[in-house]
Amino acid sequence: MPGGGGRDLLLEIKGLKTHFFTDEGVVKAVDGADFPIARGKTVCVVGESGCGKSVTARSILQIVDRPGRIVEGRILLHRESEEVVDLAAMAPTGKAIRAIRGKEIAMIFQEPMSSLSPVHTIGNQIVEMIRLHLPMTTEQARDRAAELLERVGIPQAGRRLDSYVFQLSGGMRQRAMIAMALSCRPNLLIADEPTTALDVTTEATILDLIKELQRDLNMTVMFITHDLGVVAEIADDVVVMYLGKVAETAAVDPIFHDPKHPYTRALHQSIPKFGDTQRGALEAIRGMVPHPFARPDGCTFHPRCESFMPGECDRVAPPAVVMESGTTVRCLLYGGSDGSGAVRDDAGGHAGTAGGEAGARAPGKGASGPRAADQGAAG
Amino acid sequence: MASSPPTATRPLLELEQLKMHFPITRGLLHRVVGHVKAVDGVDLTVHSGETLALVGESGCGKTTLGRCVVRIYQPTGGAIRYRDEDGSFADLTVLQGASLRPYRRAVRMIFQDPYASLNPRKTVLQIVGESLRRHDNIGGVELEQRVAELLRRVGLRPEYIRRYPHAFSGGERQRIGVARALALHPRLVIADEAVSALDVSVQAQILNLLQELQAEFDLTYLFVAHDLSVVDYISDRVAVMYVGKLVEVGSRARVFAMPKHPYTEALLSAVPKPDPRLRSAGARVRLSGDVADPANPPTGCYFHPRCRYAQDRCAVEAPPLRELGDGHRVACHFAEELELAGVAGA
Ligand SMILES: Nc1ncnc2c1ncn2[C@@H]1O[C@H](COP(=O)(O)OP(=O)(O)OP(=O)(O)O)[C@@H](O)[C@H]1O
Ligand SMILES: Nc1ncnc2c1ncn2[C@@H]1O[C@H](COP(=O)(O)OP(=O)(O)O)[C@@H](O)[C@H]1O
Ligand code: SF4
Ligand code: SF4
Ligand SMILES: [Mg+2]
Ligand SMILES: [Mg+2]
Repeated sequence: MPGGGGRDLLLEIKGLKTHFFTDEGVVKAVDGADFPIARGKTVCVVGESGCGKSVTARSILQIVDRPGRIVEGRILLHRESEEVVDLAAMAPTGKAIRAIRGKEIAMIFQEPMSSLSPVHTIGNQIVEMIRLHLPMTTEQARDRAAELLERVGIPQAGRRLDSYVFQLSGGMRQRAMIAMALSCRPNLLIADEPTTALDVTTEATILDLIKELQRDLNMTVMFITHDLGVVAEIADDVVVMYLGKVAETAAVDPIFHDPKHPYTRALHQSIPKFGDTQRGALEAIRGMVPHPFARPDGCTFHPRCESFMPGECDRVAPPAVVMESGTTVRCLLYGGSDGSGAVRDDAGGHAGTAGGEAGARAPGKGASGPRAADQGAAG
Repeated sequence: MASSPPTATRPLLELEQLKMHFPITRGLLHRVVGHVKAVDGVDLTVHSGETLALVGESGCGKTTLGRCVVRIYQPTGGAIRYRDEDGSFADLTVLQGASLRPYRRAVRMIFQDPYASLNPRKTVLQIVGESLRRHDNIGGVELEQRVAELLRRVGLRPEYIRRYPHAFSGGERQRIGVARALALHPRLVIADEAVSALDVSVQAQILNLLQELQAEFDLTYLFVAHDLSVVDYISDRVAVMYVGKLVEVGSRARVFAMPKHPYTEALLSAVPKPDPRLRSAGARVRLSGDVADPANPPTGCYFHPRCRYAQDRCAVEAPPLRELGDGHRVACHFAEELELAGVAGA
């Protein structure tokens, strides 16, 4: 990730594999994902539908739906006390992860109804959440709940405590869900497309709110979205996912102004640019995300890639390469294309910028800098 | 590339004081206790060959307006004048049954949800061919050939003709929806949030397809959308709707660069700009509160409770939609005085 070592990490995802064992076969939803999350920052996770963004997020909290489970990898949570725990090694129903869920790490969803109960008042739900984790009386918890509702911009917060979810508009529900997520002051807030179903006007106010809370509470935010406009608006760092792996991670500016991975570039070219006077045809990424049972060999993006190099990209799984700019990219244009055994399917071995090691460089050629004409390498 | 409208812009469709008021009923006897004024007196002309975008927050009445035009709903007031190829006009609100048939084939709709809008128990052949069978009375090999041709045109393999919708991805289903809408060679296509539910990359494919088809078949689009970057990309003109009424209409370039209604300004300002370097650029306008209830709208200008420029007059006097020149129409008392921010480069 940007900056390489030296940054204060909150979470490190290393070689994470989460698979679903369905009747028809194994869906490798997350298949060797690596990325760090810096403390106090907002990291956005982007990618097309089905690329494993939500499953990654759910893996962190050990709430992956059956028949899925984490089959490999580590999710290291760095506590302020310098203690490091591996969330991936915890039992999904165990005490350890339950103490973390909602307290140290909270999650909000696109659909507020999936985390709010329709039959209890908003106030009671927040009170219950607070009392589950903190030693407070009902009175104290209720005051806190009212404060929280006020903090997220719900008018007449005191009265709203007694409302049911169905009595609130879409934007208000989203706010109530955020209030509940904040109730125990989490270190990490995971937001899975919390604004995708909302109008732009409501989205804008919710994004403002998340930014403000992040700053005021010094909270870390992992924000999942497929909207690059939203990324530009709120991210410090960006993780681009494709087919269960991380294609590129970088700080937000290079993701927009110096993207390395052909997939990141393709995502940019496929969105209409607001206020752009050039109205040429959009460059849609060719084809579509492959069926989960038909993962291409080598670089999984190769059937859709503009820079595809026959004989290399369809054979060699690109290792993670850390560039001087701080970008980490998995693409043979930047190294590893000699296909030497050492860089084949490295399952996290090279990706780590773990604990500030100055970047495990891939041994492939050109690993230290981008080759001049990436487009020129097209086959 | 939003194809520029033909030099002689002739109206294809004229909505005049169009109204769709849904009754609110109570009790066993379904006593009518009020009305949801989902569309409330819309005057709007759609020119032949153009793409007119209809924008606004959810619940503003966009879908309802589209459904009135294709006569899924029988409007409760006003006229929908449609110009035939021979130049004569027909009022679609008064036609019924057989006399409406020719218009049902000339005006088609593409729906938002590619999952919900296709019957899961029918094959692609049945779905796309249904209207051909019904309107043109064709079947057998001829029908198959026509459907295969349509599938090819929207970028689907004709071999898939006997597959069911579940075997297709979201983008492919939307292509099926497009093929279905085009089967009868319509002149006007209402696309209601046709790309909203799609992934960025698939969305780009469908937008490109719609543009190509427009040029090829001389189509006119009424494009309902809430994503203003998509609207910016695809439309020639824009109509902004708020609580059942139009508040601003004009060319895309004018409305986006120099909006004259505070609601339009707020909508434009809310769109996240895809460049982190623009993060702090320009003043942010944020709308608080929700869209007014169309069953119980505020007095005066419906937008006044949320308007940062509202004055005393706004709460009592409803601003009419009036022409500012160059076909730019606005419903705000202070349109001339306000200095509103648009989108640079639009
Ligand atoms: N319960 C499940 N059973 C089987 N496969 C699953 C299950 N949940 C997810 N998957 C598969 O895992 C892959 C990744 O899914 P995920 O929900 O993480 O995608 P995503 O990137 O969040 O996409 P979106 O943008 O659509 O939310 C997909 O191929 C999906 O079909
Ligand atoms: N069949 C109906 N009966 C009653 N109210 C309706 C019906 N359809 C839509 N409405 C109401 O009309 C208003 C406009 O809805 P709609 O046209 O769907 O808005 P949009 O497409 O702009 O989101 C909303 O308040 C909605 O609840
Ligand atoms: S150039 Fe090769 S390795 Fe890089 S993204 Fe394209 S297919 Fe993958
Ligand atoms: S008429 Fe008044 S309330 Fe309405 S938009 Fe104009 S300034 Fe705002
Ligand atoms: Mg998801
Ligand atoms: Mg709608």
